[in-house]
Amino acid sequence: MIRARGVRVRRGAREVLRGVDLDARAGEVTSVLGPNGAGKSTLLRALAGLLPCEGEIEVGGAALLGLSPRARAQTIAYVPQRTQLQSALPVAAVVAQGRYAHTGGLGRPGGADRRAIASALARTGLEALADRAFDRLSTGEQRRVLLARALATGAPTLLLDEPTEALDVGHSLALHALLRSLAEDGRTVVAVLHGLDDARRHTDRAILLQDGAVVAAGPSDEVVSAAPVREVYGVTLREREGLAFALAPEDDG
Amino acid sequence: MFLAAALVAVGAASLVVGPGDLSDEALRDAFLRLRAARLLGAVVAGGALAAGGAIVQGVFRNPLASPSILGTTAGASFGGQAVLLLHGSLAGAGALGGVAPEMVLPIGCLLGAFVSLGVLLAFVRRGADLLTLLLTGFALTSLFLAFGSFLTAIAQERYELGRAVVSFTLGGLGGVGWAHVRLALPLVVGGAVAAVLWARPLDLLLSGEDEAQSLGVDVRATRTWAIVWVGVLTAAAVALGGNIAFVGLVVPHALRPFVGVAHRPLVLASLLGGAAFLAACDLLARALPTTVEAPLGVITGLVGAPVFLWLLMRDRREAA
Repeated sequence: MIRARGVRVRRGAREVLRGVDLDARAGEVTSVLGPNGAGKSTLLRALAGLLPCEGEIEVGGAALLGLSPRARAQTIAYVPQRTQLQSALPVAAVVAQGRYAHTGGLGRPGGADRRAIASALARTGLEALADRAFDRLSTGEQRRVLLARALATGAPTLLLDEPTEALDVGHSLALHALLRSLAEDGRTVVAVLHGLDDARRHTDRAILLQDGAVVAAGPSDEVVSAAPVREVYGVTLREREGLAFALAPEDDG
Repeated sequence: MFLAAALVAVGAASLVVGPGDLSDEALRDAFLRLRAARLLGAVVAGGALAAGGAIVQGVFRNPLASPSILGTTAGASFGGQAVLLLHGSLAGAGALGGVAPEMVLPIGCLLGAFVSLGVLLAFVRRGADLLTLLLTGFALTSLFLAFGSFLTAIAQERYELGRAVVSFTLGGLGGVGWAHVRLALPLVVGGAVAAVLWARPLDLLLSGEDEAQSLGVDVRATRTWAIVWVGVLTAAAVALGGNIAFVGLVVPHALRPFVGVAHRPLVLASLLGGAAFLAACDLLARALPTTVEAPLGVITGLVGAPVFLWLLMRDRREAA
Protein backbone atom coordinates (compact mmCIF):
# COMPACT_ATOMS: atom_id res chain seq x y z
CA MET A 1 0.00 0.00 0.00
CA ILE A 2 0.98 3.61 -0.47
CA ARG A 3 0.17 6.41 1.92
CA ALA A 4 1.21 9.90 0.85
CA ARG A 5 0.55 13.08 2.78
CA GLY A 6 1.19 16.67 1.76
CA VAL A 7 3.41 15.84 -1.22
CA ARG A 8 4.89 18.98 -2.73
CA VAL A 9 7.21 19.21 -5.73
CA ARG A 10 8.78 22.44 -6.90
CA ARG A 11 10.37 23.23 -10.24
CA GLY A 12 12.16 26.50 -9.74
CA ALA A 13 9.64 28.99 -8.42
CA ARG A 14 6.67 26.94 -9.66
CA GLU A 15 4.92 24.44 -7.41
CA VAL A 16 3.97 21.46 -9.60
CA LEU A 17 2.38 19.45 -6.77
CA ARG A 18 0.68 21.36 -3.97
CA GLY A 19 0.20 19.15 -0.95
CA VAL A 20 -1.21 15.98 -2.52
CA ASP A 21 -2.62 13.20 -0.31
CA LEU A 22 -3.04 9.71 -1.73
CA ASP A 23 -4.03 6.31 -0.37
CA ALA A 24 -3.56 3.29 -2.61
CA ARG A 25 -4.48 -0.10 -1.15
CA ALA A 26 -3.08 -3.52 -1.79
CA GLY A 27 -5.42 -5.63 -3.92
CA GLU A 28 -6.81 -2.58 -5.73
CA VAL A 29 -6.10 -0.65 -8.91
CA THR A 30 -5.94 3.09 -8.30
CA SER A 31 -6.00 5.56 -11.18
CA VAL A 32 -4.48 9.05 -11.19
CA LEU A 33 -6.55 11.34 -13.41
CA GLY A 34 -6.46 14.94 -14.53
CA PRO A 35 -6.03 17.17 -17.58
CA ASN A 36 -2.69 17.76 -19.26
CA GLY A 37 -0.24 19.48 -16.91
CA ALA A 38 -2.20 18.58 -13.78
CA GLY A 39 0.86 16.88 -12.23
CA LYS A 40 -0.08 13.20 -12.73
CA SER A 41 3.31 12.00 -13.99
CA THR A 42 5.09 14.17 -11.43
CA LEU A 43 3.08 12.55 -8.65
CA LEU A 44 3.93 9.09 -9.95
CA ARG A 45 7.66 9.92 -10.13
CA ALA A 46 7.53 11.35 -6.61
CA LEU A 47 5.85 8.14 -5.36
CA ALA A 48 8.59 6.14 -7.10
CA GLY A 49 11.26 8.14 -5.27
CA LEU A 50 12.61 9.62 -8.49
CA LEU A 51 12.00 13.26 -7.57
CA PRO A 52 12.99 15.30 -4.55
CA CYS A 53 9.77 16.27 -2.80
CA GLU A 54 8.37 17.50 0.49
CA GLY A 55 5.79 15.61 2.51
CA GLU A 56 5.50 12.03 3.71
CA ILE A 57 5.41 8.96 1.51
CA GLU A 58 5.09 5.51 3.02
CA VAL A 59 5.21 2.37 0.91
CA GLY A 60 4.26 -0.89 2.59
CA GLY A 61 4.52 0.88 5.93
CA ALA A 62 8.12 2.06 5.39
CA ALA A 63 9.19 5.64 4.74
CA LEU A 64 10.25 5.99 1.10
CA LEU A 65 13.15 8.30 1.93
CA GLY A 66 14.68 5.77 4.29
CA LEU A 67 15.04 3.10 1.61
CA SER A 68 18.29 2.45 -0.24
CA PRO A 69 18.06 2.44 -4.07
CA ARG A 70 18.02 -1.36 -4.16
CA ALA A 71 15.53 -1.72 -1.30
CA ARG A 72 13.30 0.84 -3.03
CA ALA A 73 13.50 -1.10 -6.30
CA GLN A 74 12.43 -4.26 -4.48
CA THR A 75 9.45 -2.40 -3.04
CA ILE A 76 8.24 -0.24 -5.94
CA ALA A 77 8.30 -0.98 -9.66
CA TYR A 78 7.89 1.96 -12.03
CA VAL A 79 6.90 1.84 -15.69
CA PRO A 80 7.42 5.20 -17.43
CA GLN A 81 5.17 6.66 -20.09
CA ARG A 82 7.97 6.48 -22.65
CA THR A 83 11.23 4.64 -22.30
CA GLN A 84 14.55 6.02 -23.42
CA LEU A 85 15.72 2.50 -24.11
CA GLN A 86 16.35 2.25 -27.82
CA SER A 87 18.86 -0.52 -28.00
CA ALA A 88 19.12 -3.94 -29.57
CA LEU A 89 19.15 -5.75 -26.20
CA PRO A 90 17.12 -8.98 -26.41
CA VAL A 91 13.72 -8.86 -24.70
CA ALA A 92 14.79 -11.48 -22.14
CA ALA A 93 17.83 -9.33 -21.21
CA VAL A 94 15.64 -6.26 -20.74
CA VAL A 95 13.24 -8.22 -18.51
CA ALA A 96 16.22 -9.64 -16.58
CA GLN A 97 17.22 -6.06 -15.70
CA GLY A 98 14.29 -6.19 -13.29
CA ARG A 99 16.35 -8.50 -11.09
CA TYR A 100 19.24 -6.04 -10.68
CA ALA A 101 18.05 -5.00 -7.22
CA HIS A 102 18.22 -8.65 -6.14
CA THR A 103 21.45 -9.76 -7.80
CA GLY A 104 23.43 -6.49 -7.81
CA GLY A 105 26.03 -5.65 -10.41
CA LEU A 106 28.22 -8.71 -9.93
CA GLY A 107 25.79 -11.41 -8.87
CA ARG A 108 24.71 -14.09 -11.30
CA PRO A 109 20.97 -14.76 -11.58
CA GLY A 110 19.96 -17.74 -9.47
CA GLY A 111 16.94 -20.01 -9.60
CA ALA A 112 14.60 -17.44 -8.05
CA ASP A 113 15.73 -14.83 -10.56
CA ARG A 114 15.22 -17.15 -13.52
CA ARG A 115 11.76 -18.12 -12.26
CA ALA A 116 10.79 -14.45 -11.80
CA ILE A 117 11.96 -13.61 -15.33
CA ALA A 118 10.14 -16.59 -16.86
CA SER A 119 6.99 -15.79 -14.93
CA ALA A 120 7.09 -12.13 -16.02
CA LEU A 121 7.56 -13.14 -19.66
CA ALA A 122 4.70 -15.63 -19.43
CA ARG A 123 2.34 -13.27 -17.68
CA THR A 124 2.81 -10.58 -20.31
CA GLY A 125 2.66 -13.05 -23.21
CA LEU A 126 6.22 -12.34 -24.32
CA GLU A 127 7.70 -15.83 -24.32
CA ALA A 128 7.73 -15.99 -28.12
CA LEU A 129 9.53 -12.64 -28.31
CA ALA A 130 12.18 -13.39 -25.68
CA ASP A 131 15.06 -13.38 -28.18
CA ARG A 132 13.90 -10.44 -30.28
CA ALA A 133 15.79 -7.13 -30.16
CA PHE A 134 13.92 -4.54 -28.09
CA ASP A 135 14.29 -1.77 -30.67
CA ARG A 136 12.66 -3.96 -33.34
CA LEU A 137 9.38 -4.28 -31.40
CA SER A 138 6.19 -2.29 -31.88
CA THR A 139 5.25 0.34 -29.30
CA GLY A 140 2.67 -2.00 -27.77
CA GLU A 141 5.17 -4.83 -27.51
CA GLN A 142 7.77 -2.53 -25.95
CA ARG A 143 5.15 -1.52 -23.37
CA ARG A 144 4.62 -5.13 -22.46
CA VAL A 145 8.39 -5.67 -22.13
CA LEU A 146 8.67 -2.74 -19.73
CA LEU A 147 5.75 -4.10 -17.73
CA ALA A 148 7.40 -7.53 -17.68
CA ARG A 149 10.62 -5.94 -16.41
CA ALA A 150 8.62 -4.26 -13.65
CA LEU A 151 6.96 -7.57 -12.75
CA ALA A 152 10.34 -9.31 -12.67
CA THR A 153 11.39 -7.02 -9.81
CA GLY A 154 8.88 -8.84 -7.62
CA ALA A 155 7.92 -5.50 -6.10
CA PRO A 156 4.51 -5.52 -4.38
CA THR A 157 3.78 -1.98 -5.60
CA LEU A 158 3.42 -1.17 -9.29
CA LEU A 159 3.36 2.39 -10.67
CA LEU A 160 2.47 2.84 -14.34
CA ASP A 161 2.45 6.10 -16.29
CA GLU A 162 -0.22 6.04 -19.01
CA PRO A 163 0.22 2.33 -19.73
CA THR A 164 -2.49 2.27 -22.42
CA GLU A 165 -1.21 5.23 -24.42
CA ALA A 166 -0.82 4.30 -28.13
CA LEU A 167 -2.35 0.85 -27.56
CA ASP A 168 -5.25 -0.37 -29.70
CA VAL A 169 -8.48 -1.35 -28.01
CA GLY A 170 -7.62 -5.05 -27.79
CA HIS A 171 -4.19 -4.52 -26.22
CA SER A 172 -5.62 -1.84 -23.97
CA LEU A 173 -8.28 -4.17 -22.60
CA ALA A 174 -5.75 -6.98 -22.20
CA LEU A 175 -3.50 -4.66 -20.21
CA HIS A 176 -6.35 -3.61 -17.92
CA ALA A 177 -7.17 -7.28 -17.38
CA LEU A 178 -3.53 -7.93 -16.48
CA LEU A 179 -3.46 -5.04 -14.02
CA ARG A 180 -6.62 -6.41 -12.44
CA SER A 181 -5.10 -9.85 -12.03
CA LEU A 182 -1.94 -8.34 -10.54
CA ALA A 183 -4.06 -6.48 -7.99
CA GLU A 184 -5.96 -9.68 -7.21
CA ASP A 185 -2.58 -11.24 -6.39
CA GLY A 186 -2.27 -8.67 -3.62
CA ARG A 187 -0.22 -5.99 -5.36
CA THR A 188 -0.86 -2.28 -5.07
CA VAL A 189 -1.36 -0.96 -8.59
CA VAL A 190 -1.36 2.78 -9.36
CA ALA A 191 -1.78 3.92 -12.97
CA VAL A 192 -1.92 7.35 -14.54
CA LEU A 193 -4.76 7.24 -17.06
CA HIS A 194 -6.15 9.73 -19.56
CA GLY A 195 -9.35 7.87 -20.37
CA LEU A 196 -12.04 8.63 -17.79
CA ASP A 197 -14.14 5.73 -19.06
CA ASP A 198 -11.18 3.36 -18.58
CA ALA A 199 -10.66 4.66 -15.06
CA ARG A 200 -14.26 4.14 -14.14
CA ARG A 201 -14.53 0.73 -15.76
CA HIS A 202 -11.20 -0.81 -14.81
CA THR A 203 -9.99 0.79 -11.57
CA ASP A 204 -11.27 0.59 -8.03
CA ARG A 205 -10.28 4.00 -6.76
CA ALA A 206 -9.26 7.25 -8.41
CA ILE A 207 -7.62 10.53 -7.55
CA LEU A 208 -8.41 13.55 -9.73
CA LEU A 209 -5.79 16.29 -9.96
CA GLN A 210 -5.94 19.83 -11.26
CA ASP A 211 -3.04 22.29 -11.16
CA GLY A 212 -1.10 20.04 -8.81
CA ALA A 213 -3.86 19.69 -6.21
CA VAL A 214 -6.45 17.00 -5.47
CA VAL A 215 -9.97 17.86 -6.61
CA ALA A 216 -11.56 14.50 -5.79
CA ALA A 217 -10.44 11.13 -4.42
CA GLY A 218 -12.33 7.95 -3.65
CA PRO A 219 -14.09 5.10 -5.45
CA SER A 220 -13.70 5.49 -9.23
CA ASP A 221 -17.45 5.79 -9.92
CA GLU A 222 -17.68 8.69 -7.47
CA VAL A 223 -14.59 10.51 -8.75
CA VAL A 224 -15.52 10.03 -12.41
CA SER A 225 -18.95 11.58 -11.98
CA ALA A 226 -20.70 14.63 -13.30
CA ALA A 227 -19.64 17.30 -10.80
CA PRO A 228 -15.86 16.68 -10.58
CA VAL A 229 -15.59 16.07 -14.32
CA ARG A 230 -17.39 19.33 -15.08
CA GLU A 231 -15.22 21.21 -12.56
CA VAL A 232 -11.90 19.90 -13.89
CA TYR A 233 -12.47 19.32 -17.59
CA GLY A 234 -15.39 21.70 -18.23
CA VAL A 235 -17.38 18.95 -19.96
CA THR A 236 -20.71 17.28 -19.31
CA LEU A 237 -20.72 13.58 -18.49
CA ARG A 238 -23.32 11.64 -20.50
CA GLU A 239 -23.36 8.18 -19.00
CA ARG A 240 -25.51 6.36 -21.52
CA GLU A 241 -23.71 7.46 -24.68
CA GLY A 242 -20.69 6.01 -26.47
CA LEU A 243 -19.40 2.54 -27.37
CA ALA A 244 -18.41 -0.18 -24.94
CA PHE A 245 -15.91 -2.97 -25.63
CA ALA A 246 -14.88 -6.15 -23.83
CA LEU A 247 -12.23 -8.78 -24.46
CA ALA A 248 -13.63 -11.58 -26.62
CA PRO A 249 -13.66 -15.10 -25.13
CA GLU A 250 -10.55 -17.01 -26.18
CA ASP A 251 -12.50 -19.61 -28.21
CA ASP A 252 -14.40 -16.91 -30.09
CA GLY A 253 -13.15 -17.22 -33.68
CA MET B 1 38.06 -15.21 -31.55
CA PHE B 2 38.39 -13.27 -34.79
CA LEU B 3 39.65 -10.20 -32.90
CA ALA B 4 42.20 -12.27 -31.00
CA ALA B 5 43.41 -13.85 -34.26
CA ALA B 6 43.64 -10.42 -35.90
CA LEU B 7 45.65 -9.13 -32.94
CA VAL B 8 48.07 -12.07 -33.11
CA ALA B 9 48.51 -11.62 -36.87
CA VAL B 10 49.10 -7.88 -36.60
CA GLY B 11 51.43 -8.45 -33.65
CA ALA B 12 53.53 -10.98 -35.57
CA ALA B 13 53.77 -8.64 -38.57
CA SER B 14 54.71 -5.73 -36.28
CA LEU B 15 57.72 -7.60 -34.98
CA VAL B 16 59.01 -8.19 -38.51
CA VAL B 17 58.34 -4.78 -40.09
CA GLY B 18 60.38 -1.71 -39.26
CA PRO B 19 63.81 -0.14 -39.57
CA GLY B 20 66.63 -2.49 -38.66
CA ASP B 21 67.89 -5.74 -40.15
CA LEU B 22 66.75 -8.83 -38.22
CA SER B 23 69.26 -11.00 -40.06
CA ASP B 24 72.01 -9.27 -38.13
CA GLU B 25 72.30 -11.66 -35.19
CA ALA B 26 74.11 -9.15 -32.99
CA LEU B 27 71.29 -6.61 -33.21
CA ARG B 28 68.28 -8.90 -33.72
CA ASP B 29 67.41 -9.19 -30.04
CA ALA B 30 67.69 -5.44 -29.51
CA PHE B 31 65.43 -4.72 -32.50
CA LEU B 32 62.88 -7.30 -31.37
CA ARG B 33 62.86 -5.91 -27.83
CA LEU B 34 62.24 -2.38 -29.12
CA ARG B 35 59.51 -3.54 -31.49
CA ALA B 36 57.89 -5.70 -28.81
CA ALA B 37 57.72 -2.72 -26.42
CA ARG B 38 56.24 -0.57 -29.16
CA LEU B 39 53.75 -3.29 -30.10
CA LEU B 40 52.72 -3.73 -26.48
CA GLY B 41 52.37 0.06 -26.21
CA ALA B 42 50.00 0.01 -29.21
CA VAL B 43 48.04 -2.90 -27.74
CA VAL B 44 47.66 -1.23 -24.34
CA ALA B 45 46.85 2.24 -25.72
CA GLY B 46 44.46 0.93 -28.38
CA GLY B 47 42.64 -1.31 -25.95
CA ALA B 48 42.38 1.51 -23.40
CA LEU B 49 40.97 4.01 -25.90
CA ALA B 50 38.42 1.58 -27.34
CA ALA B 51 37.29 0.35 -23.91
CA GLY B 52 37.00 3.98 -22.77
CA GLY B 53 34.92 4.68 -25.87
CA ALA B 54 32.56 1.79 -25.14
CA ILE B 55 31.99 3.08 -21.60
CA VAL B 56 31.54 6.73 -22.52
CA GLN B 57 29.10 5.81 -25.31
CA GLY B 58 27.05 3.95 -22.70
CA VAL B 59 27.16 6.77 -20.16
CA PHE B 60 25.97 9.31 -22.73
CA ARG B 61 23.66 6.80 -24.47
CA ASN B 62 25.22 7.99 -27.69
CA PRO B 63 27.16 5.69 -30.02
CA LEU B 64 28.92 8.73 -31.46
CA ALA B 65 30.55 9.77 -28.17
CA SER B 66 34.33 9.55 -27.81
CA PRO B 67 36.46 9.33 -24.64
CA SER B 68 37.88 12.77 -25.47
CA ILE B 69 34.41 14.20 -24.75
CA LEU B 70 35.25 14.33 -21.02
CA GLY B 71 38.25 16.64 -21.41
CA THR B 72 40.75 14.21 -19.89
CA THR B 73 42.43 13.62 -23.27
CA ALA B 74 43.02 17.35 -23.71
CA GLY B 75 44.15 17.57 -20.06
CA ALA B 76 46.65 14.75 -20.59
CA SER B 77 47.88 16.33 -23.78
CA PHE B 78 48.35 19.68 -22.04
CA GLY B 79 50.20 17.97 -19.19
CA GLY B 80 52.55 16.36 -21.71
CA GLN B 81 53.16 19.63 -23.52
CA ALA B 82 53.76 21.45 -20.23
CA VAL B 83 56.42 19.02 -19.01
CA LEU B 84 58.14 19.04 -22.40
CA LEU B 85 58.40 22.80 -22.12
CA LEU B 86 59.36 22.86 -18.46
CA HIS B 87 61.61 19.82 -18.50
CA GLY B 88 64.84 21.78 -18.67
CA SER B 89 63.85 24.15 -15.85
CA LEU B 90 62.53 21.35 -13.66
CA ALA B 91 65.67 19.27 -14.14
CA GLY B 92 67.85 22.29 -13.43
CA ALA B 93 66.02 23.00 -10.18
CA GLY B 94 66.28 19.35 -9.17
CA ALA B 95 62.50 19.09 -9.03
CA LEU B 96 62.38 15.81 -10.94
CA GLY B 97 63.99 13.84 -8.14
CA GLY B 98 64.70 10.32 -9.24
CA VAL B 99 62.33 10.37 -12.23
CA ALA B 100 64.05 9.05 -15.34
CA PRO B 101 64.07 11.57 -18.20
CA GLU B 102 62.02 9.32 -20.50
CA MET B 103 59.30 9.02 -17.84
CA VAL B 104 58.73 12.75 -17.40
CA LEU B 105 56.44 13.00 -20.43
CA PRO B 106 54.04 10.14 -19.52
CA ILE B 107 53.93 11.29 -15.91
CA GLY B 108 53.09 14.81 -17.08
CA CYS B 109 50.28 13.36 -19.21
CA LEU B 110 48.86 11.48 -16.24
CA LEU B 111 49.01 14.57 -14.04
CA GLY B 112 47.27 16.68 -16.68
CA ALA B 113 44.57 14.07 -17.15
CA PHE B 114 43.95 13.74 -13.43
CA VAL B 115 43.70 17.53 -12.95
CA SER B 116 41.10 17.62 -15.71
CA LEU B 117 39.31 14.61 -14.24
CA GLY B 118 39.30 16.25 -10.79
CA VAL B 119 37.59 19.37 -12.15
CA LEU B 120 35.01 17.24 -13.96
CA LEU B 121 34.29 15.17 -10.84
CA ALA B 122 33.85 18.34 -8.80
CA PHE B 123 31.00 19.24 -11.14
CA VAL B 124 29.53 15.74 -11.00
CA ARG B 125 29.57 15.82 -7.20
CA ARG B 126 27.35 18.88 -7.36
CA GLY B 127 24.73 16.76 -9.11
CA ALA B 128 25.44 17.67 -12.70
CA ASP B 129 23.07 16.10 -15.22
CA LEU B 130 24.20 14.54 -18.46
CA LEU B 131 24.02 17.78 -20.44
CA THR B 132 26.03 19.68 -17.83
CA LEU B 133 28.58 16.88 -17.81
CA LEU B 134 28.85 17.05 -21.60
CA LEU B 135 29.22 20.83 -21.60
CA THR B 136 31.77 20.73 -18.76
CA GLY B 137 33.82 18.20 -20.72
CA PHE B 138 33.57 20.42 -23.79
CA ALA B 139 34.66 23.49 -21.82
CA LEU B 140 37.60 21.61 -20.28
CA THR B 141 38.65 20.34 -23.70
CA SER B 142 38.56 23.85 -25.14
CA LEU B 143 40.44 25.25 -22.15
CA PHE B 144 43.24 22.68 -22.23
CA LEU B 145 43.52 22.84 -26.02
CA ALA B 146 43.89 26.62 -25.75
CA PHE B 147 46.59 26.27 -23.08
CA GLY B 148 48.26 23.57 -25.17
CA SER B 149 48.24 25.77 -28.28
CA PHE B 150 49.82 28.56 -26.27
CA LEU B 151 52.57 26.22 -25.07
CA THR B 152 53.10 25.00 -28.65
CA ALA B 153 53.51 28.60 -29.78
CA ILE B 154 56.04 29.30 -27.00
CA ALA B 155 57.94 26.11 -27.85
CA GLN B 156 58.51 27.29 -31.43
CA GLU B 157 61.22 29.68 -30.14
CA ARG B 158 63.50 26.64 -29.82
CA TYR B 159 63.53 24.37 -32.88
CA GLU B 160 64.10 21.03 -31.16
CA LEU B 161 61.58 21.77 -28.43
CA GLY B 162 58.98 22.96 -30.95
CA ARG B 163 59.53 19.79 -32.96
CA ALA B 164 59.11 17.61 -29.88
CA VAL B 165 55.89 19.34 -28.84
CA VAL B 166 54.37 19.08 -32.34
CA SER B 167 55.46 15.46 -32.65
CA PHE B 168 53.85 14.62 -29.30
CA THR B 169 50.67 16.43 -30.34
CA LEU B 170 50.40 14.40 -33.55
CA GLY B 171 50.66 11.12 -31.63
CA GLY B 172 53.10 8.27 -32.02
CA LEU B 173 54.54 5.22 -30.32
CA GLY B 174 58.11 5.64 -31.53
CA GLY B 175 59.48 6.49 -28.11
CA VAL B 176 57.61 3.82 -26.15
CA GLY B 177 59.83 1.61 -24.03
CA TRP B 178 59.19 -1.05 -21.40
CA ALA B 179 59.17 1.55 -18.61
CA HIS B 180 56.29 3.39 -20.33
CA VAL B 181 54.35 0.16 -20.69
CA ARG B 182 54.98 -0.69 -17.03
CA LEU B 183 53.58 2.70 -16.03
CA ALA B 184 50.46 2.52 -18.21
CA LEU B 185 49.60 -1.19 -18.00
CA PRO B 186 48.35 -1.27 -14.38
CA LEU B 187 46.15 1.75 -15.06
CA VAL B 188 44.64 0.13 -18.15
CA VAL B 189 44.17 -3.25 -16.49
CA GLY B 190 42.61 -1.60 -13.43
CA GLY B 191 40.33 0.61 -15.52
CA ALA B 192 39.27 -2.24 -17.80
CA VAL B 193 38.55 -4.67 -14.95
CA ALA B 194 36.53 -2.02 -13.12
CA ALA B 195 34.62 -1.20 -16.31
CA VAL B 196 33.75 -4.86 -16.84
CA LEU B 197 32.61 -5.18 -13.22
CA TRP B 198 30.38 -2.07 -13.56
CA ALA B 199 28.91 -3.27 -16.85
CA ARG B 200 25.46 -4.20 -15.55
CA PRO B 201 24.50 -0.80 -14.12
CA LEU B 202 25.83 0.73 -17.33
CA ASP B 203 23.46 -1.56 -19.25
CA LEU B 204 20.58 -0.32 -17.12
CA LEU B 205 21.56 3.30 -17.74
CA LEU B 206 20.75 2.72 -21.42
CA SER B 207 17.11 3.05 -20.32
CA GLY B 208 17.72 6.54 -18.95
CA GLU B 209 18.23 7.80 -15.43
CA ASP B 210 14.68 7.40 -14.14
CA GLU B 211 14.32 3.81 -15.23
CA ALA B 212 17.81 2.83 -14.06
CA GLN B 213 17.17 4.44 -10.68
CA SER B 214 13.79 2.76 -10.35
CA LEU B 215 15.50 -0.59 -10.99
CA GLY B 216 17.92 0.00 -8.11
CA VAL B 217 20.92 1.61 -9.80
CA ASP B 218 22.75 4.33 -7.89
CA VAL B 219 22.93 6.55 -10.96
CA ARG B 220 25.28 9.17 -9.61
CA ALA B 221 27.79 6.63 -8.27
CA THR B 222 27.68 4.62 -11.49
CA ARG B 223 28.23 7.68 -13.63
CA THR B 224 30.99 9.04 -11.38
CA TRP B 225 32.94 5.79 -11.37
CA ALA B 226 32.43 5.32 -15.10
CA ILE B 227 33.96 8.76 -15.65
CA VAL B 228 36.89 7.81 -13.42
CA TRP B 229 37.54 4.61 -15.42
CA VAL B 230 37.35 6.46 -18.73
CA GLY B 231 39.68 9.16 -17.38
CA VAL B 232 42.21 6.58 -16.19
CA LEU B 233 42.09 4.65 -19.48
CA THR B 234 42.51 7.74 -21.68
CA ALA B 235 45.25 9.15 -19.44
CA ALA B 236 47.22 5.93 -19.82
CA ALA B 237 46.67 5.93 -23.59
CA VAL B 238 47.83 9.53 -24.05
CA ALA B 239 50.81 8.87 -21.77
CA LEU B 240 51.86 6.11 -24.16
CA GLY B 241 51.06 7.55 -27.56
CA GLY B 242 50.03 11.21 -27.33
CA ASN B 243 46.91 12.31 -29.20
CA ILE B 244 45.43 9.36 -31.06
CA ALA B 245 42.11 10.12 -32.68
CA PHE B 246 39.15 7.96 -33.69
CA VAL B 247 40.09 4.70 -31.90
CA GLY B 248 37.67 5.26 -29.02
CA LEU B 249 34.96 6.40 -31.39
CA VAL B 250 35.18 3.89 -34.22
CA VAL B 251 36.09 0.58 -32.58
CA PRO B 252 33.14 0.16 -30.15
CA HIS B 253 30.76 1.51 -32.80
CA ALA B 254 32.03 -1.03 -35.33
CA LEU B 255 31.87 -3.94 -32.86
CA ARG B 256 28.39 -3.28 -31.47
CA PRO B 257 26.51 -5.04 -34.34
CA PHE B 258 28.60 -8.17 -33.76
CA VAL B 259 28.81 -8.41 -29.96
CA GLY B 260 25.63 -6.55 -28.99
CA VAL B 261 25.06 -3.53 -26.77
CA ALA B 262 25.59 -5.19 -23.36
CA HIS B 263 28.66 -3.56 -21.84
CA ARG B 264 30.52 -6.58 -20.53
CA PRO B 265 31.08 -8.28 -23.92
CA LEU B 266 31.38 -4.89 -25.62
CA VAL B 267 34.17 -3.65 -23.32
CA LEU B 268 36.04 -6.95 -23.63
CA ALA B 269 35.70 -6.98 -27.42
CA SER B 270 36.72 -3.29 -27.56
CA LEU B 271 39.90 -4.07 -25.62
CA LEU B 272 40.86 -6.64 -28.26
CA GLY B 273 39.53 -4.67 -31.23
CA GLY B 274 41.19 -1.41 -30.16
CA ALA B 275 44.47 -3.22 -29.57
CA ALA B 276 44.37 -4.83 -33.02
CA PHE B 277 43.27 -1.59 -34.72
CA LEU B 278 46.00 0.57 -33.19
CA ALA B 279 48.69 -2.08 -33.69
CA ALA B 280 47.64 -2.26 -37.38
CA CYS B 281 47.71 1.55 -37.72
CA ASP B 282 51.16 1.66 -36.12
CA LEU B 283 52.31 -1.08 -38.48
CA LEU B 284 50.99 0.99 -41.39
CA ALA B 285 52.77 4.10 -40.07
CA ARG B 286 56.05 2.21 -40.10
CA ALA B 287 55.45 0.45 -43.42
CA LEU B 288 54.48 3.51 -45.47
CA PRO B 289 57.35 4.54 -47.77
CA THR B 290 57.60 8.10 -46.48
CA THR B 291 60.76 10.09 -45.70
CA VAL B 292 59.68 10.44 -42.06
CA GLU B 293 57.44 8.03 -40.16
CA ALA B 294 53.80 9.07 -40.54
CA PRO B 295 52.40 10.29 -37.18
CA LEU B 296 50.14 7.66 -35.63
CA GLY B 297 47.36 10.17 -34.91
CA VAL B 298 47.32 11.03 -38.61
CA ILE B 299 47.08 7.35 -39.62
CA THR B 300 44.24 6.60 -37.18
CA GLY B 301 42.40 9.65 -38.51
CA LEU B 302 42.98 8.71 -42.15
CA VAL B 303 41.83 5.13 -41.55
CA GLY B 304 39.22 5.86 -38.89
CA ALA B 305 37.31 8.69 -40.56
CA PRO B 306 36.34 6.77 -43.74
CA VAL B 307 35.52 3.67 -41.67
CA PHE B 308 33.36 5.79 -39.42
CA LEU B 309 31.52 7.35 -42.38
CA TRP B 310 30.94 3.87 -43.80
CA LEU B 311 29.55 2.70 -40.45
CA LEU B 312 27.22 5.70 -40.35
CA MET B 313 25.91 4.96 -43.84
CA ARG B 314 25.44 1.29 -42.93
CA ASP B 315 23.48 2.27 -39.80
CA ARG B 316 21.26 4.55 -41.87
CA ARG B 317 20.62 1.85 -44.45
CA GLU B 318 19.65 -0.61 -41.72
CA ALA B 319 17.41 1.93 -39.99
CA ALA B 320 15.59 2.74 -43.26
